[in-house]
Amino acid sequence: MRIELADVHKSFGDNHVLRGVGFQIAPGEVLAMAGENGAGKSTITRIISGAHQPDAGRILVDGTPVVLKDPQAAMALGIEVIYQEFQQNLFPHLSVAENMYVLDRERRFGRMLVAKRRMIEAAEAALQKLDVHLDVRRPVSSLNVAERQMVEIAKAMTHEPSLLILDEPTAALDERESERLFTQVRRLRDAGVSVIYISHRMDEVFDLADRIVVLRDGRVTLDEAVENLETRQVVTAMVGEGVDDFYPKDRNATDQVVLETKGVAGSDFHDIDVQVRAGEVLGIGGVVGCGRSTLLRALFGLDPMTGGSVTIDGSPVRVRNPREAIESRIAYLSPDRQAEGLCTALSVEANVSLASLHRFTGVSGVVRRAGERTETGAVMTDLRVRAASPAMAVGSLSGGNQQKALFAKWVMAGPRVLLMDEPTRGVDVGAKTEIYRIINKLTADGVAVVLVSSDLPELVAMSDRVVVMREGRIVTELTGDRVNEQSILEHALVGAA
Amino acid sequence: MNLKTLANRLRALWMLLLVGIILSFASPVFLTSTNLLNVGLAASVAALLAVGQTYVIILAEIDLSVGAALGFSAVVTAQVLRSDGLLPALAAGVAVGVAVGLINGLLVTKARMPSFIATLATMSVLGGLSLQLTSGNPVAVTDYTFQGIGQNRLAGIPVPVLIMLVVFAVFGFVLARTRYGRFVYATGDNAEAARLSGIRTQRVKVLAFVISGVLAALAGFILTARLSTAEPTAGTGLELEAIAAVIIGGTSLAGGRGTLVGTLVGALVLGVIDNGMNLLDVSPFLQDVVKGLVILLAVFLDRNLDALRGLVTRRSGPGDAAPSSTTPELARQ
Repeated sequence: MRIELADVHKSFGDNHVLRGVGFQIAPGEVLAMAGENGAGKSTITRIISGAHQPDAGRILVDGTPVVLKDPQAAMALGIEVIYQEFQQNLFPHLSVAENMYVLDRERRFGRMLVAKRRMIEAAEAALQKLDVHLDVRRPVSSLNVAERQMVEIAKAMTHEPSLLILDEPTAALDERESERLFTQVRRLRDAGVSVIYISHRMDEVFDLADRIVVLRDGRVTLDEAVENLETRQVVTAMVGEGVDDFYPKDRNATDQVVLETKGVAGSDFHDIDVQVRAGEVLGIGGVVGCGRSTLLRALFGLDPMTGGSVTIDGSPVRVRNPREAIESRIAYLSPDRQAEGLCTALSVEANVSLASLHRFTGVSGVVRRAGERTETGAVMTDLRVRAASPAMAVGSLSGGNQQKALFAKWVMAGPRVLLMDEPTRGVDVGAKTEIYRIINKLTADGVAVVLVSSDLPELVAMSDRVVVMREGRIVTELTGDRVNEQSILEHALVGAA
Repeated sequence: MNLKTLANRLRALWMLLLVGIILSFASPVFLTSTNLLNVGLAASVAALLAVGQTYVIILAEIDLSVGAALGFSAVVTAQVLRSDGLLPALAAGVAVGVAVGLINGLLVTKARMPSFIATLATMSVLGGLSLQLTSGNPVAVTDYTFQGIGQNRLAGIPVPVLIMLVVFAVFGFVLARTRYGRFVYATGDNAEAARLSGIRTQRVKVLAFVISGVLAALAGFILTARLSTAEPTAGTGLELEAIAAVIIGGTSLAGGRGTLVGTLVGALVLGVIDNGMNLLDVSPFLQDVVKGLVILLAVFLDRNLDALRGLVTRRSGPGDAAPSSTTPELARQ
């Protein structure tokens, strides 16, 4: 099936999201769609899937104009979408098989007693085709994120789509899981399915796509076969200006050790000895589940530490909960901004000052609002948190600004050690660069930074030094030229594959 | 905060004005100072319960035990009053409030029970204890000073109304301006994010339940003093009245949002409706029906005013509906 968008416009109120978008997808083609948040990717997805109607312009299927008045109409044409928030489309208490056939169970299998047996067999066969091995009777709530994603894809495949749209499918996956997803995507392409693949990650896009379409401000700024492109051209098309400094890393490392761990152990990591110096960024490489995230949580008092010792600036610290960690001047940037980072209904200002509120209260407990506003305002300006007003709800900011607000909270707390897990997850390219600048600022102030990131180019570019963890242990330490994607991956994966 | 944002945030105020205007035309008595003070007097007991309830509901919890706590502390106070005099009686009443709040708070935090269940259970226990303690009979109160709490006036204003205003002012200030207040909002909005910011969220919750318990005891003093008698079942149903006042006042059951000004207005809405129906001689049976409908209307307006406003603007201009986050789910159905 060949789909063409011609001069598509869409506005929401005064907000012109699409200003004349046109491109084509051929059968058996993987088209990567890139662009900063707000460039119009999601709106295009929703228009192709029938969830939104274009204000002007046409959609042509095999040369014939079509009207996709609702999602059912799009599905009837074989268009399937796997949204970034795919978890919301699964029913956690139903089994894998029930989820896969939730729309058409009776039509496919009837109502007889044998129907369930047949459904389970069909589900097993469908997953087998994708080379996924799962007990289809398990409830979806017992699956991990990657498994859920596979279920969602298998569910889409039961409708035998001719166009599959994947919106940021690897946001929650680790290296190995992503690789398996790519294998599936290639297999679909070879079977003649068209795929639109939306991603922020350049390495993936180049690895997988036949063609790249870049959107900026509701227009197509690049539409080119991947073999004629370099990363720099794509990034330039996304941000609209030369990006000489995509990773603007300043070197600020000193010799003064701030954080030191000796033989630290916890639920899934052991014998962790690291030293982080003032102004240094220590990267931790490894696949998801290697223990690096739990290590950070344990250092911040969120997960139990079963052994070893931690010192900060030479004095031993004992951290049993986040409050004690903050008192020892350790800060922790959670990978899950919504669940663990921000109080979304509260104002930007209240979120930024939340971990430092004691500075603005005396014995009476009354908050000195003027002082609070001045200091939070200064930090927000410094970190370029863009909010119409410091009193607006933090939840109404864009993803990048929410993340910067979260940084602002910890910058304001004045930490000696900042542990960060996936600091740029789900933020657009422009905000990423600003976050890297924030990291520079922190190191310039002598903060010791520990960085965990699944974004390998980021980990390589922003770390002064990288230790690689595998199965709960540090397997190597990379410095200088040896800090590169190749060697991190090798050490992270060897023996695990 | 200017008047416009206040009116926008405090939709219950419109409700109060509307009911007030209707009643001032319907009854010549309504808009007299005597009657308005009566409204305040009648609303004061439920309003005090609603103060603690606001704290608890902003924390995304609920306290169903306040009515029973009021009844139990009232009979304890009345009995100690007969045997030991005024100060021990007041101390005993407050102690009951603290103890009830502490138990509720610990059940919710340390024992990890849902507050709905924990306080439903303590409600039952306290209701039973009140009846057991008094064999189901009311306890008469003859102490003049104590009666004064409910029956005296200062500068023409009934003491319960003054107590109510002071309590709202103090706890409103605590909620809006102090560190503890900020912690209440943060914990109610996202307890995990609050904990990661170094807040002792369990302590914040326990304290809110204690506030709720102590104010239930205070409300018990007022009710007992006004009636010169402590009824073991005096508080029955008042917890629902208090919750209704909080919700009408715009506090979200999901936690993280709400104000005490809103709760005060909510309590007054309920008080004015009670008062109006008495003035208009509405059958007492029908009064509950009307109250239920008013609660529905208030919450409906609170939840849907934006959508209704959207309907109006869409008719007059280009649509203002932003792409909503619910679209993906809709698209799959």
